[in-house]
Amino acid sequence: MSQTENADAEDATDATAVTANRTDGRRASTTAGETVEETRPEWTSYEASGETKVAVEDLDVHYGDDHALKGVSMDIPEESVTALIGPSGCGKSTYLRCLNRMNDRIRAASVDGTVELDGEDVYQDGVDLVELRKRVGMVFQSPNPFPKSIRENVSYGPRKHGDIETGLLARLTGRAEPEREARLVERSLERAALWEEVNDRLDDNALGLSGGQQQRLCIARCLAVDPEVILMDEPASALDPIATAKIEDLIEDLAQDYTVVVVTHSMQQAARVSDQTAVFLTGGELVEYDDTEKIFENPESQRVEDYVSGKFG
Amino acid sequence: MSRATQTALVRDDRTTYEAAAGAAVGLSGVAFVVGLAALVGAVEIGDPVAGVELSVALGAVLLALGLAVVGFGVASRLGFVDAAPQPSAGVVAAVAFTAIWFAAGVTAAGAAGIGTVGRLGVGTVLGGGAFAVTALPREDVGSTVPAGAVAVLCGLALVTGVVGPGWERALAGYNATLFGDTVVPAVVLFASLATGWSAAKAYGGFGARGRNVGAYVLIYLVVGSILAVLVGLVAFVTAKGLPGLLNGVGVGGETLVRWPFLTNGAGLLADVAGVFPALVGTVWLVIGAVLFAVPTGVGAAVFLSEYAEQGRFTGAVEVATNGLWSTPSIVFGLFGAAFLIPRFGNQKSLIAGMLTLGFMLLPLVLITSREAILAVPDEYRDASAALGVSKWQTIRSVVLPAAIPGVTTGVILGVGRIAGETAPILLTMGGGVLPAKSAAPNVLSGFRLSASPPFVSNPALLEATSALPYQLYALITAGLSGNIRNPQEYAWGLALTLLLVVLAFYAVGIATRYYFRRKLHQ
Repeated sequence: MSQTENADAEDATDATAVTANRTDGRRASTTAGETVEETRPEWTSYEASGETKVAVEDLDVHYGDDHALKGVSMDIPEESVTALIGPSGCGKSTYLRCLNRMNDRIRAASVDGTVELDGEDVYQDGVDLVELRKRVGMVFQSPNPFPKSIRENVSYGPRKHGDIETGLLARLTGRAEPEREARLVERSLERAALWEEVNDRLDDNALGLSGGQQQRLCIARCLAVDPEVILMDEPASALDPIATAKIEDLIEDLAQDYTVVVVTHSMQQAARVSDQTAVFLTGGELVEYDDTEKIFENPESQRVEDYVSGKFG
Repeated sequence: MSRATQTALVRDDRTTYEAAAGAAVGLSGVAFVVGLAALVGAVEIGDPVAGVELSVALGAVLLALGLAVVGFGVASRLGFVDAAPQPSAGVVAAVAFTAIWFAAGVTAAGAAGIGTVGRLGVGTVLGGGAFAVTALPREDVGSTVPAGAVAVLCGLALVTGVVGPGWERALAGYNATLFGDTVVPAVVLFASLATGWSAAKAYGGFGARGRNVGAYVLIYLVVGSILAVLVGLVAFVTAKGLPGLLNGVGVGGETLVRWPFLTNGAGLLADVAGVFPALVGTVWLVIGAVLFAVPTGVGAAVFLSEYAEQGRFTGAVEVATNGLWSTPSIVFGLFGAAFLIPRFGNQKSLIAGMLTLGFMLLPLVLITSREAILAVPDEYRDASAALGVSKWQTIRSVVLPAAIPGVTTGVILGVGRIAGETAPILLTMGGGVLPAKSAAPNVLSGFRLSASPPFVSNPALLEATSALPYQLYALITAGLSGNIRNPQEYAWGLALTLLLVVLAFYAVGIATRYYFRRKLHQ
């Protein structure tokens, strides 16, 4: 908190601008009764090059009485890496979980605003969550493979969607396709840079892998469903530096074919892997969204500059 | 001493004091084991040992141990040894010795013929004294002198023959008599626990380390005695039951293995009376109860933990299931007799027994399955949902497999309880005291198809059937008589068979759990 106050002290020169901004009624808010935080619409109205994959307009999320995300609008371009950074509790994970409606699983959560995937609102009535989550995959903070074999982990999604039949009935009626399953498992593991390490023990339990391998297995499991967008919620925060480097290489690599959105606490990670970066600051507001280079070298907002240079947060 | 480097961290030689204390711990352990053996009747306290009766020898050992323990304390207090005692032995030890010495005082005064008030007076004085001796002086005296004195007192009583093999005392005001056979082992157990603990503290040099060693010795002796009781019980039943169970066992002849006790009924013409009908009855009974209770219980647990809104309703269900699990089995039996029997042919039947035991098993399966399902990490559910897999498929292919070991544990515990239940089947299933082989239920080949509802019938399920615990109960209430050669041997064989059947169900359950745990984690 004291660091925040320091940042505010440095912000004092902008006080007039804050007042001016407040009069136009948008985005000036008072948090904790004293801190005046400033956002301006032009800081977040970034137009990415390339097609828009996910378009988010005026997204508000409440957890009960807690206003976790305030009127966020940002468009995510396709086949690129978008990094979401910000201090803990700033709403970046909440934003991420809105994109594949994982927030539906939290009872107290209510979502307002629109999230469009290829121009279709995912929050309208009658949306098929199964189809949505097939197209928007997710990788979690701590590796969470199922207590099954490596092979079963990778083919879990396709099997449950009926894309691959492996059951007893399928085997009896000759509809089982073990070669297709093997190809899918191999392709997914190769894409996740794990095939070399595990190809001789596909039937071992996935819980026997190291943390970094488990996380890459989770990525392979996600790729096996053939998604278009991959959401990653701090995918490397539970891993050591070497495993982290592997995951980062993988993210850059995946962006050639997929739209990757990655939440991270590590400024270096965001700077290294992402094409554009969105900065969320305390209170669930999107403060600045621009090319990664611009955010890290010449941000518009003083607070963002303080944050990315490590002065606060 | 001089050859070894002596530092505060490393002590690589053993002092005479430690050796003596260690020996005292060992001797206490031996006395404890002999006391235990005498209590269960494995040895007689009147048996001669080294020319004297066992009780006198034990007394001498206790006397020596008591004196040794007091010696350890005094030696430490006078500074002859390198120990780290604390200022006091503590309130817990003081209260324990107060209770012991109060009891000793009351007993001794009673033996000396002093009246009630006088007895309480003597007890209070001794108890208070013990409290003072334990709590006030330094730890090395406080935790040795009262314990050693207990052992010396007990030892003296045994050595002088005040309490011995022939001793007995009618308790005034109670219709009971104490005999030396039980009092002597009890005294030995008690005194050896005290000296073992005390000597262990001395071995550890008192202080934190001494308390640690003392606690270990106490815990090991108590755990050991519990295990001994368990093993003793099984060994007793096995020894009594084996002759009956193995009667006429042989290899060859008409069949590969002949085991008449398990394959015969109890008819007049059978050369060896057997328990086949009751054995088959028990096996079917447990299978039926499990088939009824496991799907319903697990299904209810899935609903309560995955689908139902956590609130008043689930709370009420939880209270109700806990209450059902602790409901006395005879109440379930009454329910079966009054509710199920009129609906199944109005007579005691196998299926009524199965359902009654199923109702008994249901709450435990529900409780443990619910715990097991709640213990499955939410990460699995999130991961599955994020792959676009529906809730039911997630439950079926991720949650339930991960919960199977827990569910199995619940079923094992429940089967252990219901397989030995007598009261419910007494009221719902009946069966004869000595059923003939033809009375065994023939469930598998009993199914009949018919053109009119209910389309399937099975007379075997609707007949009164015997089960092992009920047959044992019926035999005993019938006075162990009947048309069999050796009813006593038969009944013990029956008891052993029941024990083995329950253990066999346990073994199946434990093997299942082991299999699924391996599958989940390797």
